Amino acid sequence: MSTTTGEKIGYVGRAMKRVEDPRLVKGIATYVDDLRLPGMLHAVFVRSPHAHARVKRIRTDAARAAGGVVGVFTGAEVNAQCGTIPCASSFPDLKSPKHTVLAGDRAYFVGHPVAVVVAATPYAAADAAELVDVDYEPLPVVTDPEKALEAGSPLTHPDLGTNAAFTWNLTGGDIDAAFAKADRVIRQRMYHQRLTPMPIEPRGCVASYQPGEGTLTLWTSTQIPHLIRTLLPGMIGIAENKLRVVAPEVGGGFGAKLNLYAEEALCSHLAMRLGAPVKWIEGRRENAAATIHGRDQVGDYEVAVSKDGRILGLRNRTIADLGSYLQLLTPAIPTLTGLVVTGAYKIPAVRMDVVGVYTNKMSTDAYRGAGRPEATYLIERLVDLVAAELGLDPVEVRRRNFPAPEEFPFNTATGLTFDSGNYEGALRKAQQLARWDELVARRTSRRRAGALFGIGVSTYVEICAMGPSKAMAAGGWEWGCVRIEISGKVTVITGVTPHGQGQETTFAQIVADRLGVPIEDIVVLHGDTSVAHYGRDTYGSRGTAVCGSAIVMCVDRILEKARRLAAALLDARPEQVEFADGAFAVKGSGGKRLGWTELAGEAYIAKNLPRGFEPGLEASAFFEPENFTFPFGTHICAVEVNRDTGDVTIVQYVAVDDCGNQINPLLVEGQVQGGIAHSIGQALFERTVYDEHGQLLTGEFMDYPMPRAEDIPDYVLGSTVTPSPVNPLGVKGVGEAGTIGATPAIANAVMDALRPLGVTHLDLPLAPEKLWRAIRQGHKE
Amino acid sequence: MKLTGTYRCPAPRARVYAALIDPVVLQRCIEGAEQLVRTAGDEYDVRMRIGIGAVKGVFSGTVRLADMQAPEAFTLHVEGKGAPGFVSGSARIRLDDAEPGTAITCDADGQVGGVLAAVGSRLVDAAGRRMMDRFFERLGREFDPPTTS
Amino acid sequence: MSTAPFNYTRPKTLDEALALLTAHGGNAKLLAGGHSLIPAMKLRLAQPKMLLDITRLEALRRIEERDGRLVIGALATHAEIAANRTVASRCPLLAEVAASIGDLQVRNRGTIGGSIVHADPAADWPAAILALDAELEIAGRMRRRMEAAGDFFMDIFETSVEPDEILCEIRVPVPAGPGAYVKTAQKASGFALCGVAAVVDAKARRVRVAVTGVAAVPYRATGVEEALAGKPLTAETIAAAARHAAADITPLGDIHASAEYRAHLAEVNTTLALQRAAAR
Repeated sequence: MSTTTGEKIGYVGRAMKRVEDPRLVKGIATYVDDLRLPGMLHAVFVRSPHAHARVKRIRTDAARAAGGVVGVFTGAEVNAQCGTIPCASSFPDLKSPKHTVLAGDRAYFVGHPVAVVVAATPYAAADAAELVDVDYEPLPVVTDPEKALEAGSPLTHPDLGTNAAFTWNLTGGDIDAAFAKADRVIRQRMYHQRLTPMPIEPRGCVASYQPGEGTLTLWTSTQIPHLIRTLLPGMIGIAENKLRVVAPEVGGGFGAKLNLYAEEALCSHLAMRLGAPVKWIEGRRENAAATIHGRDQVGDYEVAVSKDGRILGLRNRTIADLGSYLQLLTPAIPTLTGLVVTGAYKIPAVRMDVVGVYTNKMSTDAYRGAGRPEATYLIERLVDLVAAELGLDPVEVRRRNFPAPEEFPFNTATGLTFDSGNYEGALRKAQQLARWDELVARRTSRRRAGALFGIGVSTYVEICAMGPSKAMAAGGWEWGCVRIEISGKVTVITGVTPHGQGQETTFAQIVADRLGVPIEDIVVLHGDTSVAHYGRDTYGSRGTAVCGSAIVMCVDRILEKARRLAAALLDARPEQVEFADGAFAVKGSGGKRLGWTELAGEAYIAKNLPRGFEPGLEASAFFEPENFTFPFGTHICAVEVNRDTGDVTIVQYVAVDDCGNQINPLLVEGQVQGGIAHSIGQALFERTVYDEHGQLLTGEFMDYPMPRAEDIPDYVLGSTVTPSPVNPLGVKGVGEAGTIGATPAIANAVMDALRPLGVTHLDLPLAPEKLWRAIRQGHKE
Repeated sequence: MKLTGTYRCPAPRARVYAALIDPVVLQRCIEGAEQLVRTAGDEYDVRMRIGIGAVKGVFSGTVRLADMQAPEAFTLHVEGKGAPGFVSGSARIRLDDAEPGTAITCDADGQVGGVLAAVGSRLVDAAGRRMMDRFFERLGREFDPPTTS
Repeated sequence: MSTAPFNYTRPKTLDEALALLTAHGGNAKLLAGGHSLIPAMKLRLAQPKMLLDITRLEALRRIEERDGRLVIGALATHAEIAANRTVASRCPLLAEVAASIGDLQVRNRGTIGGSIVHADPAADWPAAILALDAELEIAGRMRRRMEAAGDFFMDIFETSVEPDEILCEIRVPVPAGPGAYVKTAQKASGFALCGVAAVVDAKARRVRVAVTGVAAVPYRATGVEEALAGKPLTAETIAAAARHAAADITPLGDIHASAEYRAHLAEVNTTLALQRAAAR
């Protein structure tokens, strides 16, 4: 039961600028690197230049003797005290190497930390790091995950005896029957390239130990302070309740900061060991080499179809390049791909086999979309290939395979229950916004004029609001707290850790409406485990759906308590009291109204409370989601490819996303815009390159192309609203939608442009030279 | 990084071969080689100062001659490390009579690691080629007729 | 990401700068815009012992017309050249090239002299310098000398400027014929995968075409120039001539573009540059 005045005041649903913005725009936000503590020391890591090498000897004497140096530590001196880096996923046959904070007798990837120098200044530490002399014996390198599975391949971790970390499969329906009765089987091998997340703020942390209290505070640029507080104590030997983890302003995460990294654990250990605060700030090159990468799956995919374009079954074997170690969610990512591999379609049978493979590279893990972009890309490419093979309109093929709105909740062959959806509605709206008939006519006329013009469509569905605790390794609930302060101001505390998602604004909108207070009176706190006692943090587009719901529960509890208090103060029974416009009054009395200032004053001063009434006016709540949410949408992209150079120009981009109810349409749009930008990068130019020796060749912005303003066309963005039934706000989540829906739309458009040349499929990224070669080949044939 | 080059040297094959395996000549021909000290039969410790534009680094490592088939061919293995990273590679050098003089074919396969690879990959091939060209240019000069002054 | 230790000084005059440069031998580097040097220092790939900050040598940042030459001081920034009126009227090609360099921040700090002397094989300026038959004034302690652009670029990151010399001015004969610069940028860095500058001298029926980014050293595409010498510039003659754009050079290849693609871009961009120049 929630009494709201939401409709009356109406912050919710309004496109409001973020309260976070001014401090960010003015450059006065506080990031980790802005922290200066008395006596603070600085750590610099010495990293392996080899992808695989035996560490024969580390000479540290010259570094130790250098000016300002406090200590130089190698694996031999810290690994025993620091435990191993945690991985939250487990499979029955998962083989995992011991992931120590520094390399032991082997280095497994370029950038693998082998030693750390701690000095009085970052400069002294960097100077001394150059003096650490490591004697390496290069070992055979594993870079190709497919070759890594062949007999006789060198091994990334010889002690495991294999490069296969795990095999996992997912089955639903009768796959053999589906292929047996198919009119046609379409096969395609696809490679989903490795990407580097590249948040603008690299990682960094400051650890400070208070020996008197025996407490440690770790400020770190992370998405998951609470999960770190859960995981770190066991590693470094401190009680959970003596550890405080703070995520100050975080300059971008995108999944790259959804991890507990070696550097965080080691700086924490060193702060305790040295009795002084230790700061480490990651450089860009370190970030490219030693912060998780994303994607990197290759597979052979096949679909069984009837001749009218109905997809009967989907089968594939996917090889996931895990890199050299398991980070927090490394093995889980390809399984997420499996869960949504059937896309927005009624595919009755599915079989997916995944092999996770160790290679001498940085670990892969969650990168914006995390498994869903891979799934969406492969199914959306396959649908286009089906249409081409059968001579059908790709839009029509999609339509024929959608579940109808009345079929929701819809059970997929992969075992999910899609909460709500109207896929046809989003598709229709996107076609309207794109002026579909005109667009198709334009393609015809441009092709007639000799241009390579293509239209691509992607109709996606994804998983958000992670998630039901039974499906999440560390619990999927969320915690929130709402407190009416003695002054009547409202403090909201959230267990999620927004770092760009804007929940300081959206949660204030939700609470302002429900409490009937001006939004300016609300402050939203987050990201500090001593303030937000519990939380599972921010990832998987979960913040608003899961924690927003916890906050609704808090508000309901406060309203209930405040009603009892108001009734007592108004000499009425609670059910006689009504709440409107931020005040309680006896129904129909036209008499005295008690607002939050009066009620809070009474609740805390506590002179007039009824007997047995608990002072204070705050509530906290845990919300346990009963299901994930499943946002969906349609993206339409039109491109023209330059015949001479292979350059792609996006001439039109339309996206219609349905993320359920929208708390703040401006922020929804912002998330979609940024997500599509990420997709443009992935579709057209981004890729992480290791050479055959395992050397990282995209180690800086000089070589790793991020999308820039000039690459972003004018988007036409629209939405449909199909509320989710699984949370009280009816919201679904939108943080990753753009990275999931857009890449295949762009890829399909480029492939459509090249179709007249007989080109059917090219792997991402669709960079100019690759297209130029395909065009040249097409002309020859 | 794979590099191939063919060079000519105005001297008979036997003399060119002898020069190529002579550490004194090698040191003169390898640009930036500051030191070449024999440690075993055909193995030398080397210290090289390599500079390409503003990028400069000192590498120390080893040079080893192998698979020697005088006067036709031998293989040169080079390994070095320094602050900017490491370099390693090998070159098969073949000598053919080519009147007048000798034709030298060099097939090199090299690897760079560390900062150099991470930020300099686009330049590594060009820089490697330059070093190879310079080496053989200097070698050629070893056989210039003495100038009279 | 911190540099190795270094000393810093700011000479007040060119003579003082030259004296310091000589005194410090190979251990000093000149600091102008710092857009190549500072990143290399932060990566510790460059570790000069002494930085000589010449950014306040005002005499070296003037842009003016003198004796039939557009004279551009080595310290003029890309942004200053892009916005300069004399440049716009007397040699618009230079403004076009300047505006194509990097991004706004790079153009605001980076200098033409720094770029040219650094001699990155993918820098934009060398194409224009070569196509415009520029001359470069180089100062040493004992003498000043002029170098033709064609003799200036020696090798990858190597020019004819000696370690104890300073590039002072770039001089371009004006009015320059109509020109155009067509560049395919490397997606990440903004440097040229292939940049082609073309200048058309309609009266003499002569063209100049210079290419950067494709070979280890920027070059004049003399094959293209010869094929067009004395001929009218038509779509056909241009297309035929452009086929020589990467003749006689060894194109570079890397993860961003193969040697073959770079050579192809040289032809495509040469065609476009000549067409645009001819239409101006």
